[in-house]
Amino acid sequence: MWSASPINTTGVDVRTVLIKDFEKEYPKIHVTLVSAPTDTDTNRATLATEISGGSSTPDVFMGDVIWPAQFGEHGLALPLSDYLPSSFFAQFAPGLVSGASYKGKVYGSPMFEDQGFLYYRKDLLAKEGMSVPTTWQQLEADSVKLVHAGLVKYGFVWEGDSYEGLTCDFMEYLTDAGGSVTNSSYTSASLNSPAANTALTFMRSLITSGASPSAVTTFQEPQAMTAFADGQAAFLRNWDYAWADSQTPSTSKVVGKVGVAPLPTFAGQSYPGYSNIGGWNLYINPHSKNIAADLDFIKFMASNEAQDVLSVQYSEIPTTTAVRDSSAVIAENPVLATVPKTRLIARPAGTPNYPALSTAIYTNINAALAGSTSVSSALSAAQSQATTALTSPAGGL
Amino acid sequence: MGRTRKGWRRVINGVNISAFFVTLFIALPLYWLIISSFKTPVAMGDSPPQYWPSPFSGANYSQAFVQYDFGIYFRNSLIVTLCATALVLVFGTVAGYALGRLPMRGKFTLMVTLLIISVFPEIALIAPLYLLERNFGILNSYEALIIPYTAFNLPFAIWILRNYMLGIPKEMEETGRIDGAGPLRTVWSIILPMALPGLFTAGIFCFTACWTEFLMALTFESVNNWRTIPVGIAEFGTPLEVPYGTIFAASVVAVVPIGILVFIFRKFVISGLTSGAVKG
Amino acid sequence: MTSVSSAAEPAPASAPLVGRHDVNRKRMARLGWVFSAPALIFVAAVTIFPIVYSVVMSLSNVTVTGNGFKLSGVTGSNYTLVLKNSTWHYALGFTIVYTLITVAVELVIGTLIALVLQRLTAGRGWMMALLLIPWSMITVINAELWLYVFNGIYGVMDAIFNAVGLGHPNFLGTNDPAIISLMIADIWKTTPFVAIIVLAGLVMLPGDIFEAAEVDGSSGWSTFWRITVPLLRPTLALAVMFRVLQAFGLFDLPYVMTGGGPGTATTSLAILGYDAMFKNLSFGPGAAVATTTALLVLLGCLISLRTFRVQVGKEDM
Repeated sequence: MWSASPINTTGVDVRTVLIKDFEKEYPKIHVTLVSAPTDTDTNRATLATEISGGSSTPDVFMGDVIWPAQFGEHGLALPLSDYLPSSFFAQFAPGLVSGASYKGKVYGSPMFEDQGFLYYRKDLLAKEGMSVPTTWQQLEADSVKLVHAGLVKYGFVWEGDSYEGLTCDFMEYLTDAGGSVTNSSYTSASLNSPAANTALTFMRSLITSGASPSAVTTFQEPQAMTAFADGQAAFLRNWDYAWADSQTPSTSKVVGKVGVAPLPTFAGQSYPGYSNIGGWNLYINPHSKNIAADLDFIKFMASNEAQDVLSVQYSEIPTTTAVRDSSAVIAENPVLATVPKTRLIARPAGTPNYPALSTAIYTNINAALAGSTSVSSALSAAQSQATTALTSPAGGL
Repeated sequence: MGRTRKGWRRVINGVNISAFFVTLFIALPLYWLIISSFKTPVAMGDSPPQYWPSPFSGANYSQAFVQYDFGIYFRNSLIVTLCATALVLVFGTVAGYALGRLPMRGKFTLMVTLLIISVFPEIALIAPLYLLERNFGILNSYEALIIPYTAFNLPFAIWILRNYMLGIPKEMEETGRIDGAGPLRTVWSIILPMALPGLFTAGIFCFTACWTEFLMALTFESVNNWRTIPVGIAEFGTPLEVPYGTIFAASVVAVVPIGILVFIFRKFVISGLTSGAVKG
Repeated sequence: MTSVSSAAEPAPASAPLVGRHDVNRKRMARLGWVFSAPALIFVAAVTIFPIVYSVVMSLSNVTVTGNGFKLSGVTGSNYTLVLKNSTWHYALGFTIVYTLITVAVELVIGTLIALVLQRLTAGRGWMMALLLIPWSMITVINAELWLYVFNGIYGVMDAIFNAVGLGHPNFLGTNDPAIISLMIADIWKTTPFVAIIVLAGLVMLPGDIFEAAEVDGSSGWSTFWRITVPLLRPTLALAVMFRVLQAFGLFDLPYVMTGGGPGTATTSLAILGYDAMFKNLSFGPGAAVATTTALLVLLGCLISLRTFRVQVGKEDM
């Protein structure tokens, strides 16, 4: 039994396609799909209750990339490295496997990946004779200019709501500014640094300068996407699905007017800016009664065949280097073509207390963006809460 | 209320004006819900928003039923809710009667205990309940939800029913006794008809609580065939996309049974209302 | 039947009559237990274990493992953790204020609606059906609807405010407007709840008192305050009590509309508990939050009972 939340909304459900292909290759194994809730936190809650309650189903589940440490620590996922050779893990793009590891064991098998991209309105930039911005400062200036020229209602929309997605966006600015959230051994937080200050101050300035609407502090992916696809914004920071969304006539008014580029960085740093890693891994339930079949399933999902389906037919970013670098995939759409050019940064999910750490980040960043606290007090609050998250055994409250 | 007014003053009075504003207050957001369910995804994000969908599209509705198994969720919700409500009304009415009109000791303790039970946050009870259900092997079934729904809605129902039982004049049992009826007959033929507004209230609340319950339905029914409406709707879209139109469409459909129920029982309610006014 | 004959017998011979009355009372009491047993047993069987387990969890160190929850030790550390946590302090204050305001508003509006419904001659059935629709909506859907309405760019509220010249307030992204938006969504959905409870109570009031009052020349409002309200006290208390109960469990609205934000402005106790248990997988502190919330709500309910001077168990037959 495979538990996975829906991956695509239009066309044939890719999960059923993959299952069919898998069963063709392994005729003796039958897979039942259990559709998981779309909210990743709700998904995690159900899985944690079921698995720690001893349930043997689902056998395999598709989970967020930030779960390995938490699930590994609590014994909610099988350590795959005990069952699969290291050659299996070598086929994945760099950084993905370490993101799925905790205390030396690998818990998840990367299924498909996600990154942040900069989407822009080709037609508007052409009208004003602008080129694609390579620095954040340039992006801000271009946004303000376009808004003042009356060509578009809003400049730059992104995800600023008080939720996990804000941690993703923040990681991009933070890393561009040269900062980090914690030290490499996750024993202390470094959120009160000059780099963090630069990053957050810039994010706040996007709103105060008029480059981004103040409502951006309530935006998650759907809201940012709608604003851009409805033609109200010139620039969008979103994951790779935004490309397909913006080119579908039933959901977008800007078909054919969109360009994709890697994210900008701060002036003086080397281009391109960092993209945060998102995406989904496959995990095995430790109580599963069909471990051999589960491993076959996982191996299939990492195979060229499955990765091709995901990337060429459904525009998801593949996780194996073989497929990522293949010319067929690169030619498929501009997003996949941009993938080799991006630089990746993962969220600091190597600690089982990551959710508390992330909460410390996004609640305070959001407060600063909304203007209810100053940048410095937000960062010091984040710092102290993050320290609590890292040092207390249960991750605090 | 013996005054009559002539002409337009008959219609325009305090009551009707208030009723008008109340209707507006309730209906406007509903209007927004309904018309949004007929908007195309592209139109959802319009600013300023469309006050009337153009194009007018029923695609969201077909998507709910075809792409998502809304029909199955609807059936499951209906079965679970009706059964739980029936059980609650049966058990709750006799208990409410007993705790309201019969001389029992320890009534106060009982009522407060029931209160404590309904007060405990559901989130804390999910994990142990899951273990219980797993142990008894009733996960992924109708009982998985009917049993907890009945148990958790009974305290509130008992409180409501007891309250309305108290409002019935004390002499009613006497009448029954004089007529030679046993206690059960008294309850059935004399008390029950008088407590109907209370039963209706308790019933409608229980129905709504079960119909809209999410947490337990999510945890105890993980197989698609057993899912109820709230859980089903939580699956529309993907982690990154929320199809508001389809969600609203499904929601409009989910609200229909309540409307039908009230419509069917409105004669009941209205007769209950008028008989209550005449009584005394 | 013995009971019939005892009622028909004349007054003298009080000693045997008292004896019979006593026996009758005992029999009625036993009957009461028989009647209430099914309900009570059912509730107890299902709820005792989870509640006790929860309280036990709140008093131990809980680790979530693949093989179930491991509870070790008896400790108050979960409670000290919760009581010292500043977010919990905020959530407590926020939830209490939120409860007070929404319940008060709903009580007033709900009672007014009930009064209107009672006096309405035409269309009463339709209005009741209409009233029940917001109440019967799934709370998450209600939250999604108001999220759509209050959206800062394409929400209808934003369009209306802009049209009347109030610009583009960021409803859900600024502290106080976010709280008010939540309240509006809540009030819209649950006022019918109060209205129906009060209406059923109104309907069961004996009509002759009102006729007497009208004959005495008492005006509408004075009748209301001096006769209706006191008679309605138990009903109002019931409505308030259960609304307080529900309002304290505020979860769906902030979860969907604001995620507890902006910052932590709309983090209620239930959200805090949920995050602790299901995001951080810290079930010990989460259970402590749940238990303290339960105690507080219980206190709130008992206080509202006292405010309305309702006594339970003192009515006798």
